[in-house]
Amino acid sequence: MYTQFFGNFLLSKGVISAEELVEAMKKKADVHLKLGTIAIHEGMLTASEVDNIVIMQTHEDKKFGELAIEHGYLTEEQVQVLLDNQKPDYLLLGQILIEDGKLTNSDFENLISDYQSQTEIFDLEADVSQHEMVHKLLADFCQFDDPKTTEHATEYLTLLFNNLIRFIGNDFTLLDPISCKEYPTNYCIAQHISGKIAIQAAMDMEPEAAISFASRYAHEAFTEFDEYVKASLEDFLNLHNGLFNVNMSNSRSIELSLCPPEAHSKDVLDFQKTSYIFPVIFPFGTIHFVLAF
Amino acid sequence: MKLENVKILIGDDSILARKQLKDTIAASYDVTFVEAVNGQEAIDLYKAEKPDLVFLDIVMPVKDGITAVSEIMQADPSANIIMVSSVGTQSQLKMAIEAGAKDFIQKPLDAEQLKAVINARFEGR
Repeated sequence: MYTQFFGNFLLSKGVISAEELVEAMKKKADVHLKLGTIAIHEGMLTASEVDNIVIMQTHEDKKFGELAIEHGYLTEEQVQVLLDNQKPDYLLLGQILIEDGKLTNSDFENLISDYQSQTEIFDLEADVSQHEMVHKLLADFCQFDDPKTTEHATEYLTLLFNNLIRFIGNDFTLLDPISCKEYPTNYCIAQHISGKIAIQAAMDMEPEAAISFASRYAHEAFTEFDEYVKASLEDFLNLHNGLFNVNMSNSRSIELSLCPPEAHSKDVLDFQKTSYIFPVIFPFGTIHFVLAF
Repeated sequence: MKLENVKILIGDDSILARKQLKDTIAASYDVTFVEAVNGQEAIDLYKAEKPDLVFLDIVMPVKDGITAVSEIMQADPSANIIMVSSVGTQSQLKMAIEAGAKDFIQKPLDAEQLKAVINARFEGR
């Protein structure tokens, strides 16, 4: 989950542009995390020590770990710990930006420190942290009438981001939400949840992005914006909202109803309540989730 | 399990969901399919085609899946109906079973669960 928030953090700091972020995200699948990046994150090496070892590598044909041990920066045990430990996914994004010359190791070291203190992430208990991160995102950018609405919105969005990771992929970044009263659509699927909790949910994207989104969801190689692509988008939103209803029923004994999803194209969605656009950037395009709680 | 001369009705408004269900079943069984895109069409097709097994979604336009189960069961109390839905809440499950559905599969579809449900329906046949 951290990559999704780390990208937005870098954007908000003005460290990179949205285009640079998308380019870096496209490379993620082909890049492996380096020991130096992990060592900076774990606080075992400083950025300047990593720089020194990288310079040594240009003179000697040896691995980073070997040189770090030979020159007394790390012990064998420490190298093994770095290799064995679970690594947060956002490190890869940072490393790609370093390799692309957008960041130095020193910038990265400072940004990690800022990011960790801002988000107070010090462990990798993902479920707890995701919930807290979403809660913070909503608290910073959204205004709801009561704490219960905030809690339901947090649960809805935490599940949404989990379902995006589960069914589409984890290579996305969340941008800060924007409030709106109406929304002009590209190609949009909307669905209402009704009952004790009422949610208007919509997801909107360009047809090209829809083809990629649908291909990932359905595990098919769609090439045209056809009925299968449209059905895939409806299926995703319907599945997500259905799972939300199941969670609400199981954990809070709240029974909700779901209307069939509706497609909108080049029209305007009106919302009775203040709604929020949650932009989600994937390498293939941006998805706007428009939600009114 | 080998199934012969079995006809399956799939009622789901999503063309993708129908295709995925058909593909998953066809990978293991040689059966024929009929398809409905809403609850009312599922009822009409059931009466016309008399399928051996029915898969129905719950959230559908025109007429929802639970209402469709009730009406199919009124027409044929021996109907074999399985609900396939993302809305697997306790109350939906209860309503579906009370209406006469024999089983419930929570989406996303799990091929092994689907096979187990089909085998259970046709055991001893």
